[in-house]
Amino acid sequence: MNLQVMQLLKPKADTFDVSTSDDEGPQGDLKYLPCPPLNSEACNCEREMAANFWTSSHFKQLLEPEEVDVVPSLDKEKGLTLEEFKMIKIHMTNYISRLGQQCKVRQRVVATAITYFRRVYTRKSMTEYDPLLVAPTCLYLASKAEESTVQARHVIFYIKKIHKKFVYDLKDILEMEMKLLEALNYYLVVYHPYRALSQLLQDVGMADLTFLCWSLINDSYKMDLILIYPPYMIALACIYIASVLKEKDTTAWFEELHVDMNVVKNISMEILDFYDAYRQPIPDERINAALSKLSSKP
Amino acid sequence: MGDGSSSSSSSSRPAWLQQYDLVGKIGEGTYGLVFLAKSKLPSNKGKCIAIKKFKHSKDGDGVSPTAIREIMLLREISHENVVKLVNVHINHVDMSLYLAFDYAEHDLYEIIRHHREKVNHSMNLYTIKSLLWQLLNGLNYLHSNWIIHRDLKPSNILVMGEGDEQGVVKIADFGLARIYQAPLKPLSENGVVVTIWYRAPELLLGGKHYTSAVDMWAVGCIFAELLTLKPLFQGAEVKAQANPFQLDQLDKIFKVLGHPTPEKWPTLVNLPHWLQDQQHIQQRKYDNPGLFSVVHLPPKSPAYDLLSKMLEYDPRKRITAAQALEHEYFRMEPLPGRNALVPSPLVEKAVNYPARPVDTTTDFEGTTSVQPSQQATGNTVSGSVASMVPARPVPRSMPLVGMQRMPAGGMAAFNLASQAGMGNLNPAAIPMQRGSQAHQQQLRRKDPGGMGMNTGYPQQKSRRF
Repeated sequence: MNLQVMQLLKPKADTFDVSTSDDEGPQGDLKYLPCPPLNSEACNCEREMAANFWTSSHFKQLLEPEEVDVVPSLDKEKGLTLEEFKMIKIHMTNYISRLGQQCKVRQRVVATAITYFRRVYTRKSMTEYDPLLVAPTCLYLASKAEESTVQARHVIFYIKKIHKKFVYDLKDILEMEMKLLEALNYYLVVYHPYRALSQLLQDVGMADLTFLCWSLINDSYKMDLILIYPPYMIALACIYIASVLKEKDTTAWFEELHVDMNVVKNISMEILDFYDAYRQPIPDERINAALSKLSSKP
Repeated sequence: MGDGSSSSSSSSRPAWLQQYDLVGKIGEGTYGLVFLAKSKLPSNKGKCIAIKKFKHSKDGDGVSPTAIREIMLLREISHENVVKLVNVHINHVDMSLYLAFDYAEHDLYEIIRHHREKVNHSMNLYTIKSLLWQLLNGLNYLHSNWIIHRDLKPSNILVMGEGDEQGVVKIADFGLARIYQAPLKPLSENGVVVTIWYRAPELLLGGKHYTSAVDMWAVGCIFAELLTLKPLFQGAEVKAQANPFQLDQLDKIFKVLGHPTPEKWPTLVNLPHWLQDQQHIQQRKYDNPGLFSVVHLPPKSPAYDLLSKMLEYDPRKRITAAQALEHEYFRMEPLPGRNALVPSPLVEKAVNYPARPVDTTTDFEGTTSVQPSQQATGNTVSGSVASMVPARPVPRSMPLVGMQRMPAGGMAAFNLASQAGMGNLNPAAIPMQRGSQAHQQQLRRKDPGGMGMNTGYPQQKSRRF
C-alpha cells in the first residue's frame, strides 16, 4: 500500500467504526441491511440487463459533480441552501431505505429508488416535486422496474407506519409515478456497485470484507456518487477503504487493475468526508426547517 | 423522449395527440391497443408511426409492470434489426401510456400468408436468407445484451415497407422479453394464450430455465416456415389454467425430429414432464421421416445443416445466434442483403407484399366509430393501406405483452454465464476513464469473435449493397 495514501486515509479511518452504528447515523443501514450470502438467489437476480455498461443509458447520463451540486432555481428562490438541499436528500435516502425494509424489498430495489430520487432533483425542483411524495413513489416505481412489484396501497400502509402525518393518497402516488417516468426521461435501468463488488472481492481474495464493503456501498447512496461515477469505481473505492481499515495490502492488486487510482481515492475521500461530516444524526428541526422553506411563499 | 407539456393540457385530449393523424388500429391485446398514425411534425411529416397504448390498470396499481419492462428495455437498446421506440407519451387525464414506434408495414406472418394464399409459390431464396440473417443479427444483439425475447414468432418479426429501410427486419414486441430472472409467477397469470408452435422442447417438457436457446428454437421453426410456408410444428394447444403439458405439440416435434434420448440430450432426464411421464411419452416410438423430407431440403445442403442445428433438442448443443451468422449457408450465393424484399432491383421484380391489416374504424380511445367513412383523415400509408387486404373484423390478436410468464428458476448457467453482465468485468482490464476510448476498449473486449452488436453483413462487397 502506498504510504502516502495510508497517511492520507489513516486519521479519518480511525474515526470510522462500523461496529458502533446507531439507528439514525450514517451507518444506520448496517443494522437493517445484512449482506446476503454471495451465492444466494438474491444475487442471481442481480444480473444486469445490458451486459455492457458502456452503452447503457446509465453511463450516458453520468454527470460531473458540479452538475449535481446545484440547487434548483425555484428552490433557491425560496432560500434553500446547497447544504440544506443535500441534507434533504440524505434524509429522504434514509427514508427510502426504511420504507424499503418495511416493504421487504431487496437492497437493489432501494438502491434503484434512491438513484431515481437523486436523478429527479438534477432536473426538477423540490418546490414542484415534493420530496415526501417523490421518495415513496420512487420506491414504488423501482419495485416494478426491478421485478418485485409492491402494491401502491401497501406502500401507503407502510409509509403510515413510519410517517403518521403523510398527507398524500393512492391517487397522488399513481399520478407522481407518471410524472417521474417523464422526469427520468423513461430511463429506468440502473447499475449498482453490489454486483461488481462480489466479483472484485473474489478476485482480490478478500471475501471476508464483504459485509464491510456492502455496508459502505449502502452508505454511498447518501451521496450523489451513483450519478457521477461508474458503479464499479464506487465498489473499488469501498474495497479500498475497507482494505485500508483492515490493513490489507491491495496495492499490487489495484495496480494490476489499471484503474485510475486518483478517481478511486477521490471517491474514497468523499465517502470518508461524508462520515466525518455526518457523524451525528441530522436534527429533525434542521430537516423540518429546510422542508418548510420549500412550502413557504417566495 | 416524451413531452413535458402533456400535463398542462386542460382538455381531456393531451396536446401531443396533435402531432399525429390517426389512421387506424393494427393490433389488440390484453395490454391495450396498437394504432397506426402519421406524424404531423414538420421534421417527420407523413412518417408512419405505430402507437401502442397501454391501458391504465384498473386495480389501482398505476403503470403496468409490463409497460415498465418494455420501456426500460427499449430505452437501452438500439439496433438496426430491433424495432425502434421513437417516443413515449403520457395522457395524465386517463393515466394511459403510449409507446410510439417506427412503423413497419409488413410482418412475417403476412408475408408467409401472402405467399401461401396469393402467390402460390415458395419464397425467393434470397428473401428467405436475408430475412433469416437479419433476424439472427438482431437476436445476436439482444442475446449479447442479455435479453431473451421469449416470444419470437412470425407476427412479431416485422419488415419495413417502402422507404430508406425497405426490406429491413425489425424484431418487435418486448413485452415478454426478460433481462434477468423474474420471480416465479404462474403462466396463467395474464390469461392470454401465446402460441405454442414456436416453443422449445425443454420448455414443453416443463423446464423452467429460460436461456437464449429458446429463441433459437423459435428461429428454427420460423426458418422452416419460410421454406415451406407452413408452421413446422402445428400442435393443438391444451388450454388449462396453469402451464399444462402440451402433449400434442411435443408429439408433432417428435414425429419430425425423432424421439429424444438421454444419450443425445443428457439433461432430458431432469425435465419434470419427462420425469413424471404421466402420458407415457418416454415409451412412444416414432418413425423418423426426417426433417429434410418435411422441409424439402437435401440433407447435405448447408440450409438443412443450419436448420437442424437450430432444431437441436439439447439446448446446450443448439446453435447460438452468433454461430448461426457464421454458418456456411450465409456465405454462399445468394448472399443475404439489407433489403430482403427486393432481390436485385435491376433484374428481378419484388413481390408486392400486402401491408399489415389496419382497422380504420377505431380511435385512440379504442372506441369503434359506427361509420367507417369517418376514418381518420383519408390518409393512406405508403400508398398501400388503401389497397391492402380488408382489415379482419377482429384484428389478429397480437399478444404482445405480459400474457405469459414461464415459471423461472435460476437461469441455467451453461448458456449464459459467459455472457453475464459483469462477468465481462475482467478486473484486469477495467477501462479507466469514461468516454469513447473506454467505450471502445470495452466493445473490443466484449467482442472477440467479431460477433458484436452490428457485425454488418457477411462479405460486405456483396452486390446487394
